[in-house]
Amino acid sequence: MSRRDEELQEEIAAHLRMAIADRMARGASREEAERAARREFGNVTHVAEVTREAQRGPALWLERLAQDLRYGWRALRRTPAFTAVAVATLALAIGANSAVFTVVNSVLLAPLPFRDPGRLYAASYLPADLPFELPPGLDDRLYLEYRGHVSRFEQVAGYQRQALTLSGAGDATRLAGARASANFFEVLGVQPALGRAFTPQEDQAGTDQVVILSDRLWRTRFNGDRSVLGATITLDGIPRTVIGVMPRGFTFPAASELWTPLALRLDAGNSFIFPVVGRLRAGATPDQAKSELEAIAGAMPQDPRTAGSHPAAAIIPLKQTLTSHVRTSLLVLAGAVLFVLLIACANVANLLLIRAATRRHEMAVRVALGASRGRIARQLLTESVLIGLIGGAFGILVAFAGVRGLLAMAPAGRIPRVDEVQVNGWVLLFTLAVSLITGILFGLVPAKSGARREPQEALGQGMRLMGGPHYRLRSVFVTGEIALALILLTGAGLMIKSFLIMRSLDTGYDASRVVTMAVDLPPIAFPDAARMQAFHTALLERLARIPGARAVGAVSFRPMSDMGIMGDFQAESPTPLPHGYTVDKTTVSPGYFGALGIRMLAGRDFTAADRAGAPGVVVVSEAVARRIWPNQSAVGKRISMQDHPGPNDWLSVIGVVNDVVQDEHLSRHSTIYLPYLQTTLPFFISHMTFVVRPAPQAGNLAPEMRAALRDVDPAVPAQALQTMDESMLDTIAEPVFQMRLLTAFAILALLLAALGTYGVLAYDVTERTREIGLRIALGATPGNVLRMVLRRTAALALVGAALGILGSLALTSVLSKSLFEVKPTDPATLAAVTAVLVLAALLAGYLPAQRATRIRALTALLQD
Amino acid sequence: MTGPRGLSRIELLQGTLDLIVLQTLRWGPSHGYGIAQAIRASSEDVLQVDTGSLYPALHRLERKGWIAAEWSTSENKQRVRVYRLTVEGRKQLARERSQWEQLSRAIGAVLAPPAPRGNEP
Repeated sequence: MSRRDEELQEEIAAHLRMAIADRMARGASREEAERAARREFGNVTHVAEVTREAQRGPALWLERLAQDLRYGWRALRRTPAFTAVAVATLALAIGANSAVFTVVNSVLLAPLPFRDPGRLYAASYLPADLPFELPPGLDDRLYLEYRGHVSRFEQVAGYQRQALTLSGAGDATRLAGARASANFFEVLGVQPALGRAFTPQEDQAGTDQVVILSDRLWRTRFNGDRSVLGATITLDGIPRTVIGVMPRGFTFPAASELWTPLALRLDAGNSFIFPVVGRLRAGATPDQAKSELEAIAGAMPQDPRTAGSHPAAAIIPLKQTLTSHVRTSLLVLAGAVLFVLLIACANVANLLLIRAATRRHEMAVRVALGASRGRIARQLLTESVLIGLIGGAFGILVAFAGVRGLLAMAPAGRIPRVDEVQVNGWVLLFTLAVSLITGILFGLVPAKSGARREPQEALGQGMRLMGGPHYRLRSVFVTGEIALALILLTGAGLMIKSFLIMRSLDTGYDASRVVTMAVDLPPIAFPDAARMQAFHTALLERLARIPGARAVGAVSFRPMSDMGIMGDFQAESPTPLPHGYTVDKTTVSPGYFGALGIRMLAGRDFTAADRAGAPGVVVVSEAVARRIWPNQSAVGKRISMQDHPGPNDWLSVIGVVNDVVQDEHLSRHSTIYLPYLQTTLPFFISHMTFVVRPAPQAGNLAPEMRAALRDVDPAVPAQALQTMDESMLDTIAEPVFQMRLLTAFAILALLLAALGTYGVLAYDVTERTREIGLRIALGATPGNVLRMVLRRTAALALVGAALGILGSLALTSVLSKSLFEVKPTDPATLAAVTAVLVLAALLAGYLPAQRATRIRALTALLQD
Repeated sequence: MTGPRGLSRIELLQGTLDLIVLQTLRWGPSHGYGIAQAIRASSEDVLQVDTGSLYPALHRLERKGWIAAEWSTSENKQRVRVYRLTVEGRKQLARERSQWEQLSRAIGAVLAPPAPRGNEP
């Protein structure tokens, strides 16, 4: 006790002595005087406590906080089981939130790792009604015009992702990279760590044989050797001089390993569209930049081929163009994991309420000793915040593991900025804030109601018939938990159903074990179509000789690929083709349809005789045949790929095949197939995927296929060596990722909700032991008792489920973009998850119900 | 301070009790018990000071420097803590007094029966 406290005690003692002495002087006996003086003085402890508060003034809260923390810590240690369950629940929930926040923060929130990134914008001027999605960009002519006249941007830079084959140094590999204008690095504000950026001279076609390496490529492939500057490496068969190495971590755009100059070559017949990034001038606004872009584009001579299209100008924050496609799904995940946290909060709040009920005596004693209600509420709140903080501390460990798990589960290359994802100061701050908020959130109600308890009521508790204190409050929490869990389960259920539909989708081909291998033929080594055709023929023959290969074929763009060539065509038909009707134009080898299990519906497949010089032929897919020649046979009809076909430009339809699922949206495309031996345009056959159907007992053919390619041309690397089934999984990787995470969160939510239901009912039964004993004594059967407890469980579960269904109907539409042929309000899914949840709740209620039936009437009534 | 039942303790605590304590100490130093007795006597037993309000008030006034305390020996040779008004305390008392008088005048005016309107010029 401090000296100050001693003095205060002495002051109070003197007061009492004088009061007693006065009373005795007026004739009271010593005993009477003492009693009267004490009664008049009141509660000594209380007076001392409030006086100390007045002495210290406002600085007292700190000391009291320390005292509350010490007291709370002791209280938590006295109930280790409660503390462990509460901390573990919160650690999981807070950790999951921190892990998701880590990804959201790094991908969506953190500024791009460039100089003053808030001023970087993408410029776009594209027709709004294209049949396919294009990332924002400008066409080459507009870019050149814009670059020369733009004033709202300091400057603008063009770039285009590309894949390049690096040969010479080790095995030939295909690397992700980009073509970039000379000022690209300057616009971003990042300079090479070694060497220099491109000069404007090097950005001209013909003098552009230079390359800049990423830090990682430099270290892994060139051993971090500085003498690589000035060395020559071979990319797509073209020798290029290494002039620079970018700093570590710079991989823009999209995990690029190397950069070559953009070096535009205008093509009279085609336009080339690519992304353009600009640095906004200080003081200029995106709106001004947009008007300027419209003005510059509007002043350009109209290209007759794009007449009638309505391009829209847009100035979009660069970060948004990189992350917009994952934004929704990341925010959905963040929302889902927040629900898990809310459920955990409700659970811990319920635990606290139950614990508060068992601590009624302790609180009553403290009130009787003079502790104010505010003081007790503060004490209880300190305890819950302490639980929150301990949970948060463990949650950080969970977050580290969670981030690792998330990244391992994430589909490769789909989440932008994934190499920037890390648990950093923001994440720690977030975790601290969440821990504090959750501690207050789940502690507030128990603290308020815990402090309201009247001492008399608690000290002399009588017989209780209606479920004990906080009966209604506990029910509200459990109902809320069940409702939230149901919403998560619905989300997961919808994703699972969508996944099952995708997996059982009739793709139009039958090729789950078929192995694919893609190649790209660089124009330097393969300057014309004839040389490419020779390569394809040689490789097809070599692949056919692999033991275990049942059928082989080749296709320019296989089903489920993210590329393709689309366009219009002319047809001999009674009615003109609808305007804007476009089809996939795919080049294949003879035998491709059979190898992939695509059915010939009419006519014949291509043969080796369908070569240059022979009559031009095509195979069309069913949708094309039905669209152009309804109720007629397509075989024998003629089409042309030329806008104004001459007499020799017509091709005969020799066969009809079924449509196949082509793109990542799993939609079936209308396709015209051309024989690769009759193709004269190199870009129709420079990228080719070879497919090999294995014999039933054959093992993994991939190594044999790689060897076959090496035999034919060692400078051409094998890409995408995988089965068609893997390609399918690749294509749906994003929804699958979302499905897995949502399912994991939903299962966690289900377990927490079941645990919460169990805890509350178990406590109910304990509280009502005497009542139940009385009922049994009055003749209730075990069946009656069982039903009574289960009825309460069912009531909680059904109310929760009803609220959850309403919540689901309101919320699941955020999933609509990720769902395939499932409505967000799918009644079957709602019914199924409701059944699962109610069953789980009943199961959780069954154990306490069982225990209730074993209560012995006599023991219960003699209790206390 | 519990006076007539129904008055909020907080209202008396914040303003009035300080004023009363300062006023009581104007007649000379006293200990807590003596102050309580003096208030009781001078209010003709209407105001009974609750020790749970009096001691916090004394120590708060001491912290603010309006009163000072020292240990001395009482008539019957016992150590008691005696409070006296400081110079600051005197000024504070004057301020609080004038505020109180303003307030009670205002309240008195509100509660007084209104003058008949017809007599106004």
